Amino acid sequence: MNKWIRTVTVLGICFLLLAAAGTAFAAEKGGMLRVAVIDEPPTLDQHVVTSDLTTMIAQHIFEGLYTFDSKYSPVPLLVKSEEIKDGGKIAVLGLREGVKFHNGKELDAEDVLASMERWGKFGARGPVLFSNLEKVEATGKYEVTLTFKAPFAPWKNLLAFMNGGPVIYPKDVASSAEKTPITPDQYIGTGPYKFAERNPGRYIKLVRNEEYAQRTEDADGYAGKREALFDEIRFIPVPDVGTRVNGVKAGDYDYAEQILGDLFDSLKDDPSVVTTVNQGANQGMMFFNSRNGVLKDNFKLRQALQASVNMEPVLQSAIGPAELWKASGSFMPETTLWYSKAGLDRFSAGNPELAKKLAKEAGYNGEKITFMASTSYKFHYDSTLVIVKQLQEAGFNIDHQIYDWATLISKRGDPTQWDIFFTHHGFVPDPILYTFMSESYPGWWTTDTKKALAAEFAGTLDETKRKEVWDKIQALVYEEVPVMKTGDHFTYDIYSPRLQGLSASSLIWPKFWGVRFK
Amino acid sequence: MLSYIIRRIGSMIPSLLLASVIVFSFIHLIPGDPAQIMLGDQATPEQVQGLREAMGLDRPLYVQYGRWLSGVVRGDFGNSIFFHQPVLDVILDRAETSIFIAVFSMLLIILVGVPIGILSAVRYNSWPDQLFSGLSMFFASVPTFWLGLNLMLLFSVIFRWLPTSGFPSILESGDWSNIRYLVLPCITLAAPNSALIIRLTRSSMLDVAKADYVKTARAKGLSEGAVNIRHIFRNSLISVVSALGFTFVALMAGTVVTETVFSLPGIGRLVVESVLRRDYPTIQGIILIIAFLYMVINLLVDLSFAILDPRIRYS
Repeated sequence: MNKWIRTVTVLGICFLLLAAAGTAFAAEKGGMLRVAVIDEPPTLDQHVVTSDLTTMIAQHIFEGLYTFDSKYSPVPLLVKSEEIKDGGKIAVLGLREGVKFHNGKELDAEDVLASMERWGKFGARGPVLFSNLEKVEATGKYEVTLTFKAPFAPWKNLLAFMNGGPVIYPKDVASSAEKTPITPDQYIGTGPYKFAERNPGRYIKLVRNEEYAQRTEDADGYAGKREALFDEIRFIPVPDVGTRVNGVKAGDYDYAEQILGDLFDSLKDDPSVVTTVNQGANQGMMFFNSRNGVLKDNFKLRQALQASVNMEPVLQSAIGPAELWKASGSFMPETTLWYSKAGLDRFSAGNPELAKKLAKEAGYNGEKITFMASTSYKFHYDSTLVIVKQLQEAGFNIDHQIYDWATLISKRGDPTQWDIFFTHHGFVPDPILYTFMSESYPGWWTTDTKKALAAEFAGTLDETKRKEVWDKIQALVYEEVPVMKTGDHFTYDIYSPRLQGLSASSLIWPKFWGVRFK
Repeated sequence: MLSYIIRRIGSMIPSLLLASVIVFSFIHLIPGDPAQIMLGDQATPEQVQGLREAMGLDRPLYVQYGRWLSGVVRGDFGNSIFFHQPVLDVILDRAETSIFIAVFSMLLIILVGVPIGILSAVRYNSWPDQLFSGLSMFFASVPTFWLGLNLMLLFSVIFRWLPTSGFPSILESGDWSNIRYLVLPCITLAAPNSALIIRLTRSSMLDVAKADYVKTARAKGLSEGAVNIRHIFRNSLISVVSALGFTFVALMAGTVVTETVFSLPGIGRLVVESVLRRDYPTIQGIILIIAFLYMVINLLVDLSFAILDPRIRYS
């Protein structure tokens, strides 16, 4: 009898402990998350636009075949299995079964095929993959086969990168979509949140997808489990940074993105908010005109310009606190296998004497160099103020032209209008996605050496060998100078201490699955 | 009077047509391409050109203008490039905020500006006059973003009495308590405008006070109150009312800084954002409506003169 009582008591205690543990650890669902964002996105159609704001919102609604883990490695998302055949020329992808779109329809190979084709034709980054693809086929209800013209190493990275990437729409949406972005009634994905409403000027509302098909792996970066713990998420445009900060402090918003560098030191120690730094660095970039003007083919002159500038004061003035920038010349960050020191002895030299010597050798006689920058991004303008000053001190005749962003991107399409323009580049998981690698991007870097190296880079499958080719490309960038990088800088966001589940830093875009109120 | 009104309304048509031509040419003359802005920095020239064609932006300007104008005549302002919905719907969505802001700010301006202006004029050079003159100089000079952010810091962050920003629709939700979202923006807008009305009321009353008919009124033995209100104030109202008329339209459409600081979905922000996005149909639609509003308010102000001053007659 005693034995029975003991057993029942022990079992009872175990049950109670388990129940308590269950209550303590089970993430509580519910509530509305209010995210203050800098603007309204033009569309949530991931295929056609590369706006980071679009991706931050859209990643909760749409999913792709692959995604990235915390080490920026591509891992399966809608894909269950993969088989590589014919020395890397063929990839057979098995899809997960039982994944449902927000309209209740089950995802199959036809949806993937239609989405891939639309992205390949009209998508922002689609042509990079499709120019190397021979065909995409649905080879089974849950199987898609990609056949490449030649082994093409970056395919998985391209499928995993959501920004301007191949997310999967239902077939009827994807096959009817063309150049113009899809409309809000077509925002149907497989993600943990569903699109509910766009109220222009006020908010974009997402609600939990109760029928979300979870992956079973632990959450890691963007991979693994994606638990939708809020009933609703609202992305609210709050253009003024002071208002975003005050709004989180006052409890009107729970999360606010892109806060001013100048406020970092005070907010870091403020108990009413938590700061989180975005590890996917932005890079300031100056593009040089390779098609027309004084800089065309004159690599020596470009090297002279490169030698003039010390990037530290540029970053200090444009970004602010030292925690938010790094005067690094490697195009890929240290956290990735692509980090390279090739050519870095030429980065941030800040040597006006050397610059004058190189300029003389290049035959420079004080010709006007038109340098376009925009005030639409404050750090663009601030960076160029310091850069132009240094270039002028090294003896260059710089015509600093300031425009709004819309005017700048329109003018830079005409090679006769400019010599240098300033922009920035977000994080990319594979160097092939850098805009200077594209021959059609303004700047038009198309030397034979570059073309040969780019072809070798795309066709090499072995990672170590690919890295070696990338080293050569980076060295060439510092020699031919199609572009000049200012350094890495990190945006940061703030959120209310009520939120739980956000990591100390975000990878590329902040994500709100696995996040809840305390 | 009626024929005057009809004539004035008739003269609005060529003015609106002229305004539309000027806006259309200016907005298309400035560089920038809505397709490129929408597709982002990394779109290829082919993709941009494709979208331009799909949006009809590759057609000659006069064709685009003709299509737009024929739509407007039929009440169709076209579709917003950015919002993918009819321009009129986009404007009407924003109009709620702007109308509420304009009406409440105007009430504040009138209730604060006019009485203080009268007091300052009546007690010319006394200490209240000097105090209010100093305060109105201060409020007329402080930048609105500074005032707005400080009011927000005080009443929203420190005291937590009022929300920092945003404005959930009252018409959609039927929840009139949302009016609390407009308290700080309206104070921010009313402060500099009240200051101007105080100064204007004061100076016009002081001008009128020198007139012969005021001396006559006093000589007749009228009370000081009756002289000040019925003779001086009423006759000084003409300049105050015309200033108030234009302030109202400016509050409807020209409050971009306050709307940005308080994240209000109003017309002012829509104009500026649409210019930055090169959302041509939206810009054209709003400017046309604002121009129309100016003309209507101008007409109403002119008609009110006849009521304020019996010597003015329109025929």
